Amino acid sequence: MPHPLSLRRALIPAAVLAFGAPVALAVEATTAAAAADRASDDASADEGPATGTLMLRGQDIGRSMPAVRLGTDIDVAVSAQTARVRVVQAFRNTSDKWMEASYLYPLPQDGAVDSLKMVVGQRVIVGHIEPREKARATYEAAKASGRKAGLVEQQRPNMFTTMVANVGPGETVLIAIEYQAPVGQANGTFSLRLPLVAGPRYTPPHTLGTAAAVADANAVTAAPVLAPGLGEMLNPTSISVRLAPGFDVANLVSRYHRVNITGPLGDRTIKLDGSVPANRDFVLEWRSASADPTLGLFAQHTAKGDYVMASVTPPADTSSLPTPPREMVFVIDNSGSMGGDSMEEAKASLLHALGTLRPQDHFNVIRFDDTMTRLFDHSVAATPDQVDLARRFAGSLEAQGGTEMLPALKAALADAAIGGGSDPSILRQIVFLTDGEISNEREMVAAIGADGGRSHVFMVGIGSAPNDYLMERMSTIGGGIYTHIGAPGEVAAKMMPLLDVLSHPAVRDLSVRVEGGSLELTPSRLPDVYAGRPLVLVGRTDHLSGTLTVSGTIGGKAWKRRVDLASALPSPAIEKVWARSRISDIEADRALGKLDDGKADAEVERIGMESAIVTARTSLVAVDETPSRPAGARLTREELPINLPAGWDFDTLFGQAAAPGADDAQGSGDSAAMQAAALELPQTATGFLGLLGQGLALLLAGLAGFACLLRRRAA
Amino acid sequence: MSRAGRLARRWRDALRGRGVAATLLLALCLGGFVEIGRGLYIPAKAAVAQALLDHAFEASRVDHRPRKPWPWADTAPVARLSVARLGVTRIVLGGGSGQALAFGPTLLPAGARPGHAGTAVIAAHRDTHFSFLHDMRTGDVVTLQPREGKLLRYRVTGTSIVRWDRYAPPDDTMGERLDLATCYPFDAIRSGPWRYVVHTEPL
Repeated sequence: MPHPLSLRRALIPAAVLAFGAPVALAVEATTAAAAADRASDDASADEGPATGTLMLRGQDIGRSMPAVRLGTDIDVAVSAQTARVRVVQAFRNTSDKWMEASYLYPLPQDGAVDSLKMVVGQRVIVGHIEPREKARATYEAAKASGRKAGLVEQQRPNMFTTMVANVGPGETVLIAIEYQAPVGQANGTFSLRLPLVAGPRYTPPHTLGTAAAVADANAVTAAPVLAPGLGEMLNPTSISVRLAPGFDVANLVSRYHRVNITGPLGDRTIKLDGSVPANRDFVLEWRSASADPTLGLFAQHTAKGDYVMASVTPPADTSSLPTPPREMVFVIDNSGSMGGDSMEEAKASLLHALGTLRPQDHFNVIRFDDTMTRLFDHSVAATPDQVDLARRFAGSLEAQGGTEMLPALKAALADAAIGGGSDPSILRQIVFLTDGEISNEREMVAAIGADGGRSHVFMVGIGSAPNDYLMERMSTIGGGIYTHIGAPGEVAAKMMPLLDVLSHPAVRDLSVRVEGGSLELTPSRLPDVYAGRPLVLVGRTDHLSGTLTVSGTIGGKAWKRRVDLASALPSPAIEKVWARSRISDIEADRALGKLDDGKADAEVERIGMESAIVTARTSLVAVDETPSRPAGARLTREELPINLPAGWDFDTLFGQAAAPGADDAQGSGDSAAMQAAALELPQTATGFLGLLGQGLALLLAGLAGFACLLRRRAA
Repeated sequence: MSRAGRLARRWRDALRGRGVAATLLLALCLGGFVEIGRGLYIPAKAAVAQALLDHAFEASRVDHRPRKPWPWADTAPVARLSVARLGVTRIVLGGGSGQALAFGPTLLPAGARPGHAGTAVIAAHRDTHFSFLHDMRTGDVVTLQPREGKLLRYRVTGTSIVRWDRYAPPDDTMGERLDLATCYPFDAIRSGPWRYVVHTEPL
């Protein structure tokens, strides 16, 4: 009796073993199989870090031409130091459906949009300013009721959206907006920049915390990028500029576009030679035929008060001044959006700058995409060896991945304590080379405000359409200047003046005094001013009178400029320039944490409504009172695609198809094997996890057997 | 009766007359423990060895002589490999037997010497010393401090996955290079024919 029984009992562990072992084996088999699968799939995907996916959250590729075609005509009148610009966007519906179109486009970051007109057939509908949400509601109501409506919203100070609803089949609706912007000035050269395309933006994942943040990021990445090779010109643009600055114009140059110039010297007309695709900034530069003006003073008298703009330029000649020792930190962006010409321009600029380091200077190089590398742990002396190392480091950079700019900026700022020491006579300069295609501009400005210390941040905007708002803000708050390099051939020409600025400190002890009157001046925080670059002040007062005195020290020598405010030339643009400058101040205070969101928003809205300009909180809306879309007809919405900015590399940005990559990997391996002797790679897996797994499986099987025995006994 | 005593009696009762079964099950459990122990021993050995190697390497840097990390070792440290971004430092062993891989990354004798023309190849286990290869990416800076001579800096140019017998590194006409090799896929349990190679070139 005991015999058969114990035999039966003995079967239990055997059964357990029979079940347990396969389980242990199966665990291995499935992981191994999965791993093998992965190996074959990933052989291509793991070639390098994935691009594309990282770069553009929500930014689509336009695979076909849009149903609504857009043509843009830009008309500019430059008088004195401001430009008045009319942008006419013609939305032509080529489909047989009722359409709503939305177009994302850039405007100068210091422009003030104050007029919207919508032209439908023979009728002109004039738009009006409303708080952002109210304007949106007005637009949506008109859209739902079948009436034509146009809406202009600001997404960023340099990025706007036009929406137009109920464009009938075959119909064309014109949206005309007008803005004014100050003319740029540096070293006697005046410049007008008309951005034509908003480059695709990278949204750092950590900024997507709230629903509002997601909506905000979506707004600046809404436009699909038209796939290259569609062969048709997208968003054709024509430009005409009337240049009457009040003096004879010399050295008139269109930087990136072919133009025809006519008219007398004091009143030139510049026309684009035909129309161009909206894929890069239009830049016009000129000088005065006589001596470089060092002062500009303009005023506008309104019922609300008097507005005055003064631009005072410190003397440009600094060649006799010695260059103090410097600590320079170069930060170079090698993210996917830099692919193509931009990367080459950035590298060339960096190499150029490295060439000017002297042995008494300290330096470091930081590169970033969605990761970052510091060449040295902290700044090192610029010995030929170290500079050479930096050259090779720069030469080997390749564009890929996302644009996580914040860590790189923080690293550059934080280096201060260790690097060139805390010797105040050492100039600490950060040269930041990037296209600035990010959606978290505010974070960047806040970082400079918080950790800026004695670092001066110089922005070098790279590429055909950099984010000039980010550049301007970062360099102003950071106490540096902004330089734009838009073409590979420009590197030397643009880096020279920058390096000149870098070799001398800013005007020290800068102060502004108003006597015999009162002025509410902006910017409230005086920026750092460099030789040859004007300090632009905009003021508001009840009654313009008295004198304005700007003084400081340049290279140890006192410098002073006194201006009689009553002598200002009349200009109709100053009020809007003041409003825009005031909003800049508020946004800076907000970024630096001096003003909470609610108060800042309210103040921006108040100024926007008062001056009737488009701001982050106010939009222009125009509604046709006559219904046009018949009830029952469906409305189709379309985000109009944008061009890829000139010189950008589509494949780097959006990633290539995986399949060709896999073939390449196989191919290159084979050809290499033919050229060189093969080398056997050792088995390099300890497999300790496998041992652990097996051990655990056996242990569990044994314990399960015991449990079985116990239960049987209990029963 | 105490609780422990009751439990012991229950066990005795349960197992009475089932000697064969109990013995088999006990063997199964013991086998499990042994396997787990063997499994844990590997990473422990890898970690301890690196600490000893680090010490030996520092010492040999001072007196410029190869120094054994422990008396019976058949290999000696030749370089220190670090990747600053990942905060990783490893002592690299020179040649030796296949056992050397258990203690640290090994410079393959078939490859070039670091700092000389040709491709130097360092291999290590994917689940201990070289698990960090998984996180490396193009642009990372790899530094190699040989026992003698100046610090060498490399930049990662790319990665590839090759069969163990299809790997052909650039020869000395292509200049100085460093490749880091390990097994692939990283989380496989069985070993397979694939190797993951990180390619770098000098800065």
